[in-house]
Amino acid sequence: MKKVLAKIDEITADPYRYVAHLKERTGKKIIGCFPMHVPEELVHAAGMLPVVIWRGNELVTWGHSHVPPYNCGVTRTFIDDAVKGKLQFMDGMVFHVRQCLQAGEFPLIIERNVKPAYMEILYLPPIYEGEAIKSFLLDDLILFKESLGNFSGKKITDDDIIKSIGIYNENRSLLGRIYEIRREKPEIIKAKDVMKIVWSSMLMPKEDNNELLKELISKMEKQEVKPEPDRLRIILVGGLCQTINFDILDIMEELGLIIPDDDLYVGSRYFANKITDFEKNPIKAIANRYLKKTPLCPTKSVWDIHWADEAIKKMKLNKAKGIINVIVKFCPPHTTYYPDFKSVLAENNIPELAIEVEHEIISFESLKTRLQTFTEIVGGV
Amino acid sequence: MDVKYKINRLEATNSIRPLVDRHWEELRTAKARGELVGWASGPSFIFPYAMGMKCHFMAGYASYCGGIGAADELLKAAESIGELADTCSYHRLHTGMVEAILKNIPITEQAKLPMPDLMICGRYCTEQAHYSEAFYRKLGIRILPLELPFVFREKDRPRIKKFVLRQVKEIVIPTLEDVCGKPFDYARLSEILSVLKQTAAIRNKCWEFLATRPATWTLWDYAVSMAPVIYMMGDPKGIPYYENLLKELEYRHKNGIPAMAPAGEKYRIYWDGWIPWAFLGKFMRKFTPSGAVCLCGRYPWEMFADPESIDPEKPIESAVDWLYGNHGIATHLAPKGAIGKIGELIEEYSIDGMVMFSSKSCRMWNLSNLDVIDALEKKYGIPGVVIEADMIDPEMVSDSQINTRLDALFENIDGRRK
Ligand code: SF4
Ligand code: SF4
Repeated sequence: MKKVLAKIDEITADPYRYVAHLKERTGKKIIGCFPMHVPEELVHAAGMLPVVIWRGNELVTWGHSHVPPYNCGVTRTFIDDAVKGKLQFMDGMVFHVRQCLQAGEFPLIIERNVKPAYMEILYLPPIYEGEAIKSFLLDDLILFKESLGNFSGKKITDDDIIKSIGIYNENRSLLGRIYEIRREKPEIIKAKDVMKIVWSSMLMPKEDNNELLKELISKMEKQEVKPEPDRLRIILVGGLCQTINFDILDIMEELGLIIPDDDLYVGSRYFANKITDFEKNPIKAIANRYLKKTPLCPTKSVWDIHWADEAIKKMKLNKAKGIINVIVKFCPPHTTYYPDFKSVLAENNIPELAIEVEHEIISFESLKTRLQTFTEIVGGV
Repeated sequence: MDVKYKINRLEATNSIRPLVDRHWEELRTAKARGELVGWASGPSFIFPYAMGMKCHFMAGYASYCGGIGAADELLKAAESIGELADTCSYHRLHTGMVEAILKNIPITEQAKLPMPDLMICGRYCTEQAHYSEAFYRKLGIRILPLELPFVFREKDRPRIKKFVLRQVKEIVIPTLEDVCGKPFDYARLSEILSVLKQTAAIRNKCWEFLATRPATWTLWDYAVSMAPVIYMMGDPKGIPYYENLLKELEYRHKNGIPAMAPAGEKYRIYWDGWIPWAFLGKFMRKFTPSGAVCLCGRYPWEMFADPESIDPEKPIESAVDWLYGNHGIATHLAPKGAIGKIGELIEEYSIDGMVMFSSKSCRMWNLSNLDVIDALEKKYGIPGVVIEADMIDPEMVSDSQINTRLDALFENIDGRRK
């Protein structure tokens, strides 16, 4: 297990080097997909390598000339990385411009400053009722497929897409299996390692990632762990579009909390919902996955399901006792939801803590104190 | 010798306040008359208006609260339910108002609105959807959803237009018919558009007096005059308002009375972003002593800039054309289209410099402001600055930052003139 985790560690410790090297190694074009909803399967079916754009590893510097500080971490660091030339290995970039206001501003900045050979936008609609939405979504995906085909020079057939979906679905199953094992014996792995595992799937060719995950799963299945019943189970929710600072996860564990499951983007949300019934019309099947209302994504404008109810379900499934809301600072889809999320948890007497995470180092001292208090409350429940 | 600049105030704009007050008064008393109430976000309220619903407009409410000085207390009420300061302040004003009403927290009486029967959610900015969703969660209010994407590329316009038209026919109209219990009133929609067309045509003549040198009036005068072409659209009282305004502007022009005394402005400024509703006076005081007047901006120019394209005979298509027709505004909301639009305004209004008003609680446009300035500066040789503030939240407005940036802008313009 250690060996596989070390490999994953290496990839995620320097994703720039890994992806640049990947391009050299495979000779394939790299397409950066801005999180969270770009259908990577179509990029894969075009014979290119989709990678999910990540929150950068440096303080924002050059990016200040393009993006004001009151925007979320992945937004600011992505632009910073791009204008510094750190993403030159990306042959293309794809943005879903209707996800949030920030995402809509990328095309201009990228086009003016560091335009890659291929840049595409998606208008994926919110999940509203009616045929108009469905057919617009489908058109969006068909146009995306055509544009990928034009860039790659490969005519993308239904069979190509079906094959890619199969590979992606396998990846979803494997990540799901890791989460199952973790739920059974959460002591087996640290929360930051789980996040890195999911992140590795966002960076690696899915075929390679699948092999790695299989190896990891066989080790995890065999590994015996000593149960630590005193540790308090909690669930993490949120963290849209980006990894959260790993030290925060470590602090939680040091304080006696344990995380058997999560509802994070670089977590269970990424691999949720396999694509089903895809043999006849694979694009429609991709659209159907996007139209799933759960796990609830606040960027998709679903209102008849409450995110807090979903979180409570997950908490109960995992016999957890509290919920930590990980809010990416300056992320409007999440901040606008927060008061209602919090009030449902309060009505249900469920301990809840909101932590706002920023790209820049936050004060760990005050965070630790808040987590400590939360741990005491959870412990008292 | 230093010139003492002063704004020559218009008489005509004094009559807007009673009109605006009446609009909000009618909304407040709608339920007592048995009328249905809608809260609308994005450019979607024209459809419930046609059904006779009394409707508020998200941004219009913010401007009203700013005007009556109620913003601060509503933001505080919002904070008490855990609203985070980074959330759009228009959103927070509403959640604060509802919280105050539910919990009997004292707030300015005029700021209290009746609870809506329907949230008309024009998802123009994505936040506008979150706003409607919040009120579904809090109060269970039905949502009428309408996705209104900005147009990022010309080639996308026809299919987006088709998509929006389809939503209007398949979702908006049937939902309104269901909520109101009567067939959709196409005739009333035509009437509204016909009044709007007349109002906007006169308003466009008024705009010509912003292009004069010296300017005859200012963007702030226009900002306070916007209600008849936005949330009061279809109200015939908007026509005499603009006729009266036009008359005064013609008189001024003929008699050499500029917007700025004693002899006209020194700097002609483009203003990007929202109108700082709660701080209009403050901003006027910042520009005037230097002889600067703001004359145009892409937001205030959104409101039916092209009355010619309104065809009351084709009401549904016209309502959609406002956004997605050949002159539709949904293009210049995406940053690339903005460069073209702002460029047109710079030329038409002989602009010397740009101020990008970047609202900290609103992510619309603020990311690309610096790139937009850069692109336009290269093309037109005029400088621009970003002011980081907020349209409503006083906590986000720093005098010293604004002063420094404006001074830098004026110096820069001077430097280029030498
Ligand atoms: S974290 Fe939130 S604000 Fe940032 S890109 Fe994602 S959805 Fe948009
Ligand atoms: S985020 Fe900005 S554009 Fe959206 S509703 Fe708020 S103020 Fe308007």
